[in-house]
Amino acid sequence: MTILTGKKIHKIYGNKFNKQEVLKALDINIQKGEFVSIMGPSGSGKTTLLNVLSSIDKVSNGSIQIGDKEITTMKEKQLAEFRKRNLGFIFQEYNLLDTLTVKENILLPLSITKVPKKEANQKFKLLAEELGIYEVKDKYPNQISGGQKQRTSAARAFIHEPSIIFADEPTGALDSKSASDLLMKLSELNQKLKATIIMVTHDMAAASFSNRVIFIKDGGIYSHLNKGEQTRQTFYQDIMKTQGVLGGVHHEH
Amino acid sequence: MSIKQLIFRNLKKNLKNYYLYVFALIFSVALYFAFVTLQFDPALDEAKGSVKGAASMRAASVLLVAIVSIFLLYANNIFIKRRSQEIGLLQLIGMTKNRIFHILSIENFMLYYSSLAIGSFIGFAASKLIMMILFKITKVETIATLNFSTHALIQTLIVFTVIYIFIMLMNFLFIKKQSILSLFNVLSSSQIKINKVSFVQIIIGIVGICLIVSGYFVSTKLFGGDFSTMTELFIAMIYILSSVIIGTYLFYKGSVTFIFNIIRKQKNGYLTVNEVLSLSSLMFRMKSNALLLTIITTVSALAIGLLSLSYIAYYSAEKSAENYVAADFSMTVKEDAELFKQALNSHEIAYSERVIDVIQVEVDVRNLIETKLEEINFDPNVMLLSVISDDAIQNVDLSTEETIFTGYSDILQKFMSFKDSGKIDLKGKEINIPQNYLGLKKDFVISNYFTNGGLPTAIVDDSTFKQLKNDLVTEIQKESSIYIGITVKNEKNLEKANDIYTETSEKLNNVSPHSSRLNISNVQKKNMGMIMFIVGFLGLTFLITSGCILYFKQMDESEEEKSNYTILRKLGFTQGDLLKGIRIKQLFNFGIPLTIGLLHSYFAVQSGWFLFGTEIWTPMILVMVLYTVLYSIFGLLSILYYKRVIRESLY
Repeated sequence: MTILTGKKIHKIYGNKFNKQEVLKALDINIQKGEFVSIMGPSGSGKTTLLNVLSSIDKVSNGSIQIGDKEITTMKEKQLAEFRKRNLGFIFQEYNLLDTLTVKENILLPLSITKVPKKEANQKFKLLAEELGIYEVKDKYPNQISGGQKQRTSAARAFIHEPSIIFADEPTGALDSKSASDLLMKLSELNQKLKATIIMVTHDMAAASFSNRVIFIKDGGIYSHLNKGEQTRQTFYQDIMKTQGVLGGVHHEH
Repeated sequence: MSIKQLIFRNLKKNLKNYYLYVFALIFSVALYFAFVTLQFDPALDEAKGSVKGAASMRAASVLLVAIVSIFLLYANNIFIKRRSQEIGLLQLIGMTKNRIFHILSIENFMLYYSSLAIGSFIGFAASKLIMMILFKITKVETIATLNFSTHALIQTLIVFTVIYIFIMLMNFLFIKKQSILSLFNVLSSSQIKINKVSFVQIIIGIVGICLIVSGYFVSTKLFGGDFSTMTELFIAMIYILSSVIIGTYLFYKGSVTFIFNIIRKQKNGYLTVNEVLSLSSLMFRMKSNALLLTIITTVSALAIGLLSLSYIAYYSAEKSAENYVAADFSMTVKEDAELFKQALNSHEIAYSERVIDVIQVEVDVRNLIETKLEEINFDPNVMLLSVISDDAIQNVDLSTEETIFTGYSDILQKFMSFKDSGKIDLKGKEINIPQNYLGLKKDFVISNYFTNGGLPTAIVDDSTFKQLKNDLVTEIQKESSIYIGITVKNEKNLEKANDIYTETSEKLNNVSPHSSRLNISNVQKKNMGMIMFIVGFLGLTFLITSGCILYFKQMDESEEEKSNYTILRKLGFTQGDLLKGIRIKQLFNFGIPLTIGLLHSYFAVQSGWFLFGTEIWTPMILVMVLYTVLYSIFGLLSILYYKRVIRESLY
């Protein structure tokens, strides 16, 4: 089942005199329960794509449907409402509120949707234990490690069981051990909770944890790679090859 | 881009951000200039009244400069820190520190001196208005004219130039001290450290609240008779001051965190967005601003307290004049009264007259005294009181064994209170008349010439009065033993009668005391009006400067928390949700210092207001409400700033 459909997405920055077209008629389809990575060189528009798909940024032209809802025509208030019920976010800089404890940070999305306290606590316990951060629940973000922060961020994204989770370079600030820990957890949660994850990354190892990799270049889709039945190692090799073709600077002779 | 353009651009950008700073600068200059203009105005001599008035004006202008310069230096400190990244960048591209300092100086110079010019102009224009206010409250009837004083302008220029030099010096030191790297780090290093609430903090929090409460408690007991010597009183006052000030500091340092933490604990990690924005942020920030907040709270408490007290004195001038003079005019010599009455008759002013015989009698009040204040030198066995007959007072009819007291000042009541009933002895030269004391009435029936500094007057039965009169102790009698009170029937004629009184009093026998209630009230109004004016002036300056500082702090805070708003908006909170939380936060941010300041001043005023006047509620509440309203403006402005930051936080 398709959960997200983007058609002819255009995103233009700047004014009349100085236009910069970041996304050019990009089409994208995401199936329910998929773990998709978006890769591409810097400046290819991958973060912009994630922002418009997640309704944080507005498209200049085109349509985006999540579930059966068209989000490009929604008003600010509706969008906020939509985000808090249907979407979860994980970011590179953790994006935790440093005045709140780990537990308070994680429970934040539930307080908007007015989930009963008892149920919230159960959900929290389950998820925090799963991610191995239950012990640090009363600590503040500056008292825990980067990996723990990112797992807190992930827990916050999962707690309200959103239909799609967006992750922007979630491993960008982590060392390789914490990074692979986090990605293992993400793919576990993806399987267990049937949560759809869309992740932007430039780290090939990170991308190899997903089911599908979308490469974008100059504002359009360059190619797809499906993991299929491959092991992570062979999928990694595939990604590396594509990345190699994609990555180089083209000299037009 | 040339340096000139750079300066110009910076100026344009800064004006938008620091409009409040510019406003505060203009305002302080205007206030100072107006104040100095007043000082040099010849028309003011009358309002100043005495050397004391002139001296207090001068002292006030020095204080004004102190407040303004501390504010400007502090504000500059905030701003230079905010621009540290920009300075670092200029250094990075190869500008020397001297060159950067040069740019900053020119920029500041333009901003500062154009504000100075505007401020002086406004100050000059407003000085007439201010003078009119001063004349109005000191009851001086002179026409306020607009006098330009070069002297005042020069003084203003000198003072503010000195402040400017200090600001530049501070900037210079700031730039000199920093390396490129540390300039980039200023903001992040000033960020708050967040830790779990420790046990020590809980102790600090509890101690803080206890200190404040104990200070308040002692203040209510201050004049209640528990402290009977001057040394004890003095120690008690010192205790109140120090416990409240230290308590306030600890309150900000620990109690706020402590109280909020308890509330938070109860939520068990499940916070709504309002709580996230208000509670959790306040918890940590109040602590780091503890010293600043303590100063602001203490000085605002001082300002509100002094303003309330002087307004109480001013407001109750008429009432307390009534205590001094029981009628519109009082005389103690028959001939003087005749002269005055003739003058009144010739101007066809109707009046009523009351003549009371007053004798001085030693009274044994041992059984009535409840408190003993050792330092007040008197012997309860022989209290010297004025005695009058009950025939002289309407509605009072006593039997031969009965005595009531009437007219007792509030101040004395605090130091020495009487029981409701008891036995007393009236002592003549030979005879000793035991009496039943029936109670105390509030009215003053004779002038303060007779009351020996506010002691009550005894009313006895006419026969007892005659007995005593025939057996007088002559050494203790006053020169006059007759009180003549003259009251004008139609109040509209009072001013005219007072003029006649002033005229005739020049002809009167100067040795015999006579007084006019209106004159006494006006003299007090003049004295208190001057003090009130000066305190009000300083209070207003302080209010605006401290409001600005809190606002600037909030500006910084909002920028530091901008990333939080980004996260929250990404999570799906609307701008409206966030703003609701911010409103609550600002309610606390501005409300806590205000409430504590108001509480402090409330207890300060409560403990000693009776020394100043007779009315407390109306003047005190009026002052407090006015202060609160003006202060809230800054809270509202800061919310508007937050609104902008929140709006810009997502895209």
